[in-house]
Amino acid sequence: MKRAGLLLAALAALILAVAIGPTHVPWSEFASSPIVRTLRVPRALLAFLVGGALGTAGAALQAVVRNPLADPFLLGLSGGAGLGAVLAIAAGLPGAWATPLAAFAGALAAMALVYRIALAQGSELDPRGLILGGVAVGAFAGALTTAVVSLADAVALRNALLWLWGGLSGASWDAVVVVAVYLPIPLAVLFAAARPLDLLALGEEPARYLGTDVGALRRRVYVAASLLTAVAVAVSGVIGFVGLIVPHGVRALFGHRHRALLPAAFVGGGTLLTLADTVARVVVAPRELPVGIVTALVGVPLFALLVRRWTA
Amino acid sequence: MALRATRRRLPISAPTGVGIFALRRLAYTNLAACVALCAGTRAPAQGLGVTDDAGRSVRLAAPAQRVVSLSPAITELLFALGAGVQVVGRTTWCDYPPAARAVPNVGDGLSPNLESILARHPDLVVLYDSPTNMVATTRLNGLGIAALLLRQDRLVELARDARILGRLTGHADRGDSVAAAISSVRQAPALGLRIAILAWQNPPTVIGGASYLDELAALAGAENVFHDLASPAAVVSLETIAARDPDALVVFADSGGAGTRPEGLAWQAIRAVRSGRIIVLVGSRFGRPSPRAGEAVVEFRRLLEAGP
Repeated sequence: MKRAGLLLAALAALILAVAIGPTHVPWSEFASSPIVRTLRVPRALLAFLVGGALGTAGAALQAVVRNPLADPFLLGLSGGAGLGAVLAIAAGLPGAWATPLAAFAGALAAMALVYRIALAQGSELDPRGLILGGVAVGAFAGALTTAVVSLADAVALRNALLWLWGGLSGASWDAVVVVAVYLPIPLAVLFAAARPLDLLALGEEPARYLGTDVGALRRRVYVAASLLTAVAVAVSGVIGFVGLIVPHGVRALFGHRHRALLPAAFVGGGTLLTLADTVARVVVAPRELPVGIVTALVGVPLFALLVRRWTA
Repeated sequence: MALRATRRRLPISAPTGVGIFALRRLAYTNLAACVALCAGTRAPAQGLGVTDDAGRSVRLAAPAQRVVSLSPAITELLFALGAGVQVVGRTTWCDYPPAARAVPNVGDGLSPNLESILARHPDLVVLYDSPTNMVATTRLNGLGIAALLLRQDRLVELARDARILGRLTGHADRGDSVAAAISSVRQAPALGLRIAILAWQNPPTVIGGASYLDELAALAGAENVFHDLASPAAVVSLETIAARDPDALVVFADSGGAGTRPEGLAWQAIRAVRSGRIIVLVGSRFGRPSPRAGEAVVEFRRLLEAGP
């Protein structure tokens, strides 16, 4: 019932995203309009995939570090991606894919660095190490980003910052295809880890007694969630709060079992970002808002309500 | 003596065709600007007094001999006024005229480096009228250095700057003639060509109505489809560009690195991109309000007529 409701909401969000935009497209030419075919449809799909990736990554990371604060960006990935993107923009690398690829590389570098910091005695990933290492790497990358931006010229500076705020304005079919081909592997790794993540929720010791290799689980889930985040940042910049809010929201609806939680976080994240992007496109038309601002404006009050309910 | 010589060499040309032009421009200008203009040209005899674009009154005992310019447009204007030898400091971006490069660089001018400005011992610092520069101005005044905040977003403002700077640097007549030349840039006949000017590709950022480039485009006889946007530049969706359907897309060859030329599948939704009607401008020549505006308009017109 709840699942059907969520799927219906997702479908409605996608239809809405294609049906409305800053310009009016008459129904008679809807199917043939290049605005619908080359702009709205790929953008709606990309928003859904990116939102889904962020939502799932958030749910998985919260489970693996056993901390409700964890989100894909707390762990330093956005900092690394931002640094990569700004370096590419400042260096004037040509081509539409230069910035996304540099962001992807930056996120992976940050992931590797945080992983190395959190690797305590041999092969155990320490959850506190992941969070603290993530914050440290994120701050360091942020400082380097600011240094590059303050030395770059004014136009590049402004646009690098705009890119960092996140947006799906560059969405196109090739980006949709790249993301759609890429996503299934890390998603499959996370969905397969659903049961051990349930056990981990009981505590590290009980999980171990029940036969979970906690170290291996942490490594697998951390890397898969980071890969999801890296691709999301690469195609859309830093879109905050989806990875933080969506897991808490779907947990309130679907409970704590990861078999239901992880797919629900994917669909919920996709729905939220698709709706937020629709708002970003139309609310100040013909101008456009960075979508991260919409997710924050919508998501943060909802999140505050959730927190209020838990603490009450 | 020197003043008289200047006067002989530079007859003040009658500003032909200014009438209609000035009226059209005035519609864009606010009252404060007019007040500043009047104050700038009618200062008392003792000392030199002007009101700048921030509404501050600036007074010099004698024409400034050591000027630091913190805007490329102002540096170019000072050289055009014949005050080039009085310029003792410039920004990293001041690259025109070529002689300006020989002037010591005091930084990028974005958040003024007071120490390197002071090292040049200026008696006048000219800054673009922005909030950060307002703070710097207050501090310069605290140190006993006169500072002037000027805007050059439109030709009418540049002409007013020419008069103000001409007075303050002892080249008042040259200031008047440069201002008259700027004000007499001719409006080319309408081409019936609708264009969008792309400042940046991702996120798609277009030039709006409150900008010098919009003015140049209008003078060259083209219509900016984003003229209705009240800001100098704005992020818009590709869908909006596609729907407004410009005949040609104007991009820049050097406006801050990669990503300015439209690339990627999504841009194919725009007719001008599909048909390859893309006009490339050199940012340093067109993006900056300058006494060369007349040439820029002619060159822009030629590019518009030639097509891609």
